Parts: sequence; C-alpha cells; structure tokens
Amino acid sequence: MSTAFRPLLTTLARHRGVVGSMVVGESDGMIVQAALHVGVAGEVVAALAASLYRKARRSSAAAGFGDVGFLTLEAELGRLCVIGRGGLVLIAIADRGVNVGLLRADMLAAVEELA
Amino acid sequence: MSDDVRRWSEELARDPGSRVFLQLGELLRRRGDLPTAQRVALRGLERHAHDAEAHDLLARVYADMGEGERARDEWEMALAIAPAHQGALRGIGFLLFAEDRLEEAEAYLARAAAHPEADEATRAALQRVREATDAARATAGPLAATALTDGRYLFSDVLGDGEHTAVLLDAAGTVLAGEYVLQDGRDVATLVGAELCGVSEEARRAMRHLGLGAWQALVFETEVARMAMAPAAQECVTLVAAHRDTAPGFLRRTLDRAADRAAAWLGGGR
Repeated sequence: MSTAFRPLLTTLARHRGVVGSMVVGESDGMIVQAALHVGVAGEVVAALAASLYRKARRSSAAAGFGDVGFLTLEAELGRLCVIGRGGLVLIAIADRGVNVGLLRADMLAAVEELA
Repeated sequence: MSDDVRRWSEELARDPGSRVFLQLGELLRRRGDLPTAQRVALRGLERHAHDAEAHDLLARVYADMGEGERARDEWEMALAIAPAHQGALRGIGFLLFAEDRLEEAEAYLARAAAHPEADEATRAALQRVREATDAARATAGPLAATALTDGRYLFSDVLGDGEHTAVLLDAAGTVLAGEYVLQDGRDVATLVGAELCGVSEEARRAMRHLGLGAWQALVFETEVARMAMAPAAQECVTLVAAHRDTAPGFLRRTLDRAADRAAAWLGGGR
C-alpha cells in the first residue's frame, strides 16, 4: 500500500476525537491509504463518504455554485468530515470530542497535498 | 461433500489466490449453506478486494440471509468497480422493490435492462415494477397535486427576505416542496434534487457502520454558497442553501426551522 499520504493522515490522527482518516478515490470509493482504529468499517464508509461527496459536487455544479470544499456529516455521537481535490477525497472520522474548527483548518491545509 | 465442492476446495487450498472461490461460494449459497458461503466470499475478498464478482457473491449471500443493508453495501461496491454490473443493478433493484421503493427500483432495473447482456428475467422484473409504479402514482395523484399547489411556498416565512432558499426532497430526489430560484430566475430545484437522490440513505448507512447514531445534518461549502441538509420522515431531506458568507450558526438555525416545517407538512416527526 502507498505511503505517500502517511504524514497527512498522521497529522489528522493527532486531533482529539479522530478515530480514523483515509485518502479515497472519489469516483470509485476505494481506499488509497488509511489510518483507522481497530473495528472501524473503513471500506464501506470510504465508499459511502466518497459517494456523498460526489453527490454534493454534482448538486453544486447543477446549481452553478462551483467546486465543493469542506463537507461534514453530523450524527448523534460523532461526525464524518470530507474534503476533495484532484480525484481524491480526504476523510476524517471523529467522535463528539473533536474540535471541528481545528480539524477543518488542518483538512483545508492538507487537501493541497492530495493534488 | 459433492465432487465440485471437494474439487474447488482443494484448488483453493493449493492456490489461495484462485478465483474459484466464486464458483464454490455460489454453489454453497444455492445449497443454502450460507455461513460457509459467507466465509468463502469474505476470504476471497481478502485477496480480490477490487473484484466486482466477489462483492456480488457476498451480496447474494447477505440477501439470502435477510441482511438487506449489507447486501446493498456489497452491491454498491460492485457498482463502484463495474458501473454496469448486471447482478448488482438487479440485486439493488429487487431489494428496493421489496421495500416498496418503486421509483428507485425502476431506475436500477432500467439500467440493468438497458445493457446488451440483460436477460428476459430482468426485462420482466422491470415491467412488473413499472406496472406497480404506475398503480402507485395513480393512487398518489391527489397528494402530488397538493404538493405542487401548496408546497412551493412552504418555507417562505421561515426563510424571510434573506438570500437563502429551501426545498424538501424525497428519497428519489423529487422536489416535494419549496423552490430553488437563482438570481437569474432559473429554478434549479429539480436538477439539484436529482443529484442528491439517495443522500439520506447513504448518510444513514455511513453512520450505522460507524456506530455514531442517527445522522442529523450534512453541511458543505461551495465557491459561492453553503448548503445544509437534515433528514425528514420517509427518507426525505430538507435542503437549505445560503450565501457563502452566511454564518454557519445562522444557517444551522434556518435548517432546523425548515426541517421542523417540513416535518409538520409531512405529517410526522423528524
């Protein structure tokens, strides 16, 4: 497996509350590289998160709103954060303890490394 | 143990990377030995993670086990690898049909039937779903008419005069209420809705796999707007869009109010 994104994933893993992060192909939802806690269902979540990001991007295009940036899916006990560039998406899985503002800032910086 | 099971099992033992697990798993599934078929499929996937047939096999096993959501996940993986995969399109179509989600089922079966390799069973299934869809539409006629006449301005007082808009979409991406009018006067609600078809189910499944509970909001930023969605009854979603400079907290508050309005209009809780 590629190690090109290891530093990027390590940076995200340092955030309090982050239980996993992945770089995934946007079009096929396949994991390129992942750093996940044991028990996290990486494959399926990667596919679903990539699909959600694609839907967001297409709906934005349909409205003429341009590219999509940061996306977050909030749930009762945590959230999924996604950002994409160059056919790849960076995904972070976090519990309720995460500081979303800090995570968003790091993901916005990290996305430059995806292209 | 039959000759085929013995032969294929021995081949797998000699060569664990062999794709013969596909035949072995399918034979076991047809015989009803679902736990063994599941084990064979999962082991095959360990070595052939990007093989659409392997995901299709595991999906069929899950479907036979009554695990519809797991089957759907595997078929979606197969489609991500091979977008025209017949088994996956048919399988998801049948699952949706069984859940009475007729329009979505029709969409998947139509994709399968349009393929040159489509068989008679697929075309017959599509015909059956279309007949059921027509019957359902005939029954739902008055409701659809009400949505058209009354629903367009459902969110007007919730949104006020600000530069934001809201729509209520069903699971198939159909606009049930609200409008999405751009500055140039175009209403893009239908286009946006079509692209967001199935978003509620995918959000729900992602959170279920992560054990994070029910999804509450999906928010994303674009170059010119912030968009936010919340779940509503019957797999519907409420979508609010606002200018990019809108404060996230204000957007969330507007989304909550729009979602409450949608819930009341749909006649149930959120």
